[in-house]
Amino acid sequence: MNYQACVCNLCGTGCGQFLKTDGTRVLGVAPIVSHPVSKGKLCVRGWHANELLNTNERITTPLIREDGRLREASLDEAVSLVVRRLGECNGAADEIGLLASARSSNEDGFALRRLAREVFKTHLLGVGAEAGHRNSMDSLSHAFGYPGAVGDLTRIDKADYILIVGTDIARQNPIIGGNLHAAQRRGARLVSLSSSRTQMAKLSTKHFQQKPGTKALVLNALAKALHALRTVNHARHADIDRLAGYTQYVNALRTISSVALENASGIRYEEIEEEAQILDAARSVVILFPSGISGLDKRTIEAICNLAVLTDRMDDPQSALIPVAGISNLQGSFDMGLSGEAGHSVFGSLADPDSPLRALFVVDHDDGIIRNRERIAALELVVYCGAFRNAFMDLADVVFPLTAYNESDGTYTCADRRVQLTRKNTDTPGAGLPGWRVYQAIAEQAGYTWGWRDAAEVFLAITDAIPAYHDLTHHRLAKGFGIHWDITAFPAAGQMKFHEVQIDYPKSPTCEEFPFALMVGKGRHFWHQNNLMRKTLIPRREYDQTLLLYPQGYVEICPEDAQKLKVKDKWLVHLTSSTGTSMKIAVKVSPDVQPGTAYIPYFIKNMISDFLIRYDNAFSAGEESIIPVRIEEK
Amino acid sequence: MYLLTTQDINDLARELQKTHAVYGPQVNAQTGQVFFDLLAESELPDLDAAIPSMPVKEILFPQMERILKYSYDAQAQRVTLEKQYGEKPKVLFGLRPCDLAGIQCLDRFFLGQEFVDDVYLAHRRQSLLITNTCTRPWDQCFCVCTHTGPAADEGFDLDLTRLDDGYLVQVGSEKGQALADAHGWKTAEHRRLAEKAAVVDRCVERFPDQAKDNKAWISRAMNRITTGFVKHEIWEYIGQQCFECGACSFVCPSCSCFNIEDVTLCGDSCERLRTRDSCSFSGYTRMAGDHNPRAPVEDRRNKRFFCKLSYTQSKKYLRPGCVGCGRCQLVCPGDIGLPNVVQYIRRETTE
Repeated sequence: MNYQACVCNLCGTGCGQFLKTDGTRVLGVAPIVSHPVSKGKLCVRGWHANELLNTNERITTPLIREDGRLREASLDEAVSLVVRRLGECNGAADEIGLLASARSSNEDGFALRRLAREVFKTHLLGVGAEAGHRNSMDSLSHAFGYPGAVGDLTRIDKADYILIVGTDIARQNPIIGGNLHAAQRRGARLVSLSSSRTQMAKLSTKHFQQKPGTKALVLNALAKALHALRTVNHARHADIDRLAGYTQYVNALRTISSVALENASGIRYEEIEEEAQILDAARSVVILFPSGISGLDKRTIEAICNLAVLTDRMDDPQSALIPVAGISNLQGSFDMGLSGEAGHSVFGSLADPDSPLRALFVVDHDDGIIRNRERIAALELVVYCGAFRNAFMDLADVVFPLTAYNESDGTYTCADRRVQLTRKNTDTPGAGLPGWRVYQAIAEQAGYTWGWRDAAEVFLAITDAIPAYHDLTHHRLAKGFGIHWDITAFPAAGQMKFHEVQIDYPKSPTCEEFPFALMVGKGRHFWHQNNLMRKTLIPRREYDQTLLLYPQGYVEICPEDAQKLKVKDKWLVHLTSSTGTSMKIAVKVSPDVQPGTAYIPYFIKNMISDFLIRYDNAFSAGEESIIPVRIEEK
Repeated sequence: MYLLTTQDINDLARELQKTHAVYGPQVNAQTGQVFFDLLAESELPDLDAAIPSMPVKEILFPQMERILKYSYDAQAQRVTLEKQYGEKPKVLFGLRPCDLAGIQCLDRFFLGQEFVDDVYLAHRRQSLLITNTCTRPWDQCFCVCTHTGPAADEGFDLDLTRLDDGYLVQVGSEKGQALADAHGWKTAEHRRLAEKAAVVDRCVERFPDQAKDNKAWISRAMNRITTGFVKHEIWEYIGQQCFECGACSFVCPSCSCFNIEDVTLCGDSCERLRTRDSCSFSGYTRMAGDHNPRAPVEDRRNKRFFCKLSYTQSKKYLRPGCVGCGRCQLVCPGDIGLPNVVQYIRRETTE
């Protein structure tokens, strides 16, 4: 049998995937029919994993930069060099930073954290997409007592009422999108809240198309309507009114004015009241929201958590609240403690020209967004570990080859806390090693003995150190399709609390001079800065054909606005932002966006580097970030 | 027509393994999923296994195949070309009739038209096809609607049908006859045909209770599709549900679209890869000069169903492109596997 079961590594859904392999090369892909979440389906990325895993753009040997060029080196040589050079830096004084990968396995992540703390003595750690996910984790911890999803993804299949806030899940996590569509067909009420008419919105029973930046307001209004209904009906639900923060929350909700709501969000309160009646009648409620680099802002996530608690349905065995991660092991990376700590941000250190940072250790970074490139280039030492060749290699002094996800044993924790095991099924081309082996080699050279012989032993160390993983082993995970980590390991689990809310009515930052609210949109074949998808054949072609149609990128506007601007599809326009950056870009006319809004896809390099990157807000506020712009006919 | 015992069948498989690459149904131990894959030494085809989860075309037209390698020596100014695919004789042991019908469609596409595809021909030329009559349907099956099962009519070398006391072996080609003659198999009496007919009847009778996932009276939909009378809203509704994953084409036994790409290796050499492709991708229909005659997703979707169900297309395959295996319905993240699309179209007709 050439088909080996594993977990797809190309988004946070954690779909079951067979790879057809002869042991040295991956020949094909098939879905796992009995997988409880993916149920025999894969998306365009999963179906083309064989193309990615066959790429020639692999790092196959350790490399060391000499006279400006990378040359091949032995593992010992590279390890010694790293230990010597990093030994000259003072990790405790924030001179060494580590940038982990949210695609690495838990074993790799755990070993990397240990390397950082035990060997380099640094607190400067970070994961690529952490800003957005930290908001989710903090909000969920406060509301439910543990940093992870409430319930799991299979509950989509049975819930009465499903609310999707933001994002086009049909594009970012297509298999979850497919399950949602199936739920709608079997009769669940599927409600979307998003400012553009996404595919998911089109497949929903009801779409609330709010004005940009007002998701939190609409969610709070829905909470107000739900609460009012229950008060009128004298429906007393559990002890919701005794939960911490209840009084403040309810008082704040009461202040919501329906006129101001409609002005700010474009949605009538009556419409929300109708929705609240349906929500009230639902026995089980599933709420999904995007988490990660283009996720939601803190206030919106808090509004979601509050609403979830207020529904009083979260104890139902079919209810769930899930931060849907776009990256395979984002949740696991947080569980392993790879996200930055307060006061020690590796991104902050990179952005601050006066920070003491001298060396950077990077794992598998997305090459589309190397922020602070100059700062990184000026560092004394940059170490890069990765399976695939990448623009970060140009900045690296030492490079270590890693295995791809199917070339070593490892566990991955997907969006709903499901920990799944992938076994090695194909040999690594060249001298690639699992991350934990590289980090252990460095630790050993520096005089530390970890003594791990295989990934299962690393996992044993994880179960000792991370309470939520205490009852898992590779042996247990090898049967079936993963196990959710144990929420009861968190003492506060089950103690629900409300977030403090402030009601305000976001005014559009647009003005007469800059009348368009520009937001970051999504492209179907674009994912993860395309670091990986660019190494495939078919998905890359799909991405390229968008670029061929719109070589300079595009900005989506609605037909009415196009008519006003007197432009047609593919015509070039000048886009000028309120802070003065400008770019030339083509127009894409789409009926799915609202008048006065414009979407710029998050995938064209100079859009990010020249235009968006100047907006801190574009990253911190994620999906809710708005840039006021002017669009002029060229 | 011969009658063989299970032992005879197993012996045949073992014997063929000495000279051929023998492929057959196998069950994945971890997941229970069935694949039609290369049998390991001493491994026997599981003739009772369910319909394979992936189509058998994987053997003749793989998902990804290296077909050519070429390199250029700049100093000697010499180009070398190397063929990358092998011509090892193959046996497809225990094909389900629907998968055989798929191979017949592929034959007509790759071999039966103006151009003959060398790579496909190399795989196909030395393939021995042994079909296995279905004695029961599975949840996803609707071959009775597409006339591709439960028993195969033609196109096989040998056809097996499990009867109460052994396998009825029917010969469909000279290759198959040669094999029978070489073994001196015991001839079956004429009454065995009636026993086979009873097996097939029993299988068909079980469809209403067992094969509940899909029903597709495709002959009704063919007329509508051919004449172009399907309302645009129906296609739009179908297009909205398309997640553009390409899965339907990858698992369809009769889908033949492919992509060719030359991938540069280190140095001066290059590898030519052939991968499966799908009409659901917009890059697939985009033309040079950036015109895309099928830009909206619903236009791309209806192309697929035209290809499977219109008369004009069926004339090329000498049968409808759908073989009733139900795999596209199983892998679709939307709800637009072929049987369901047929339902949508028929519902429109009845309304």
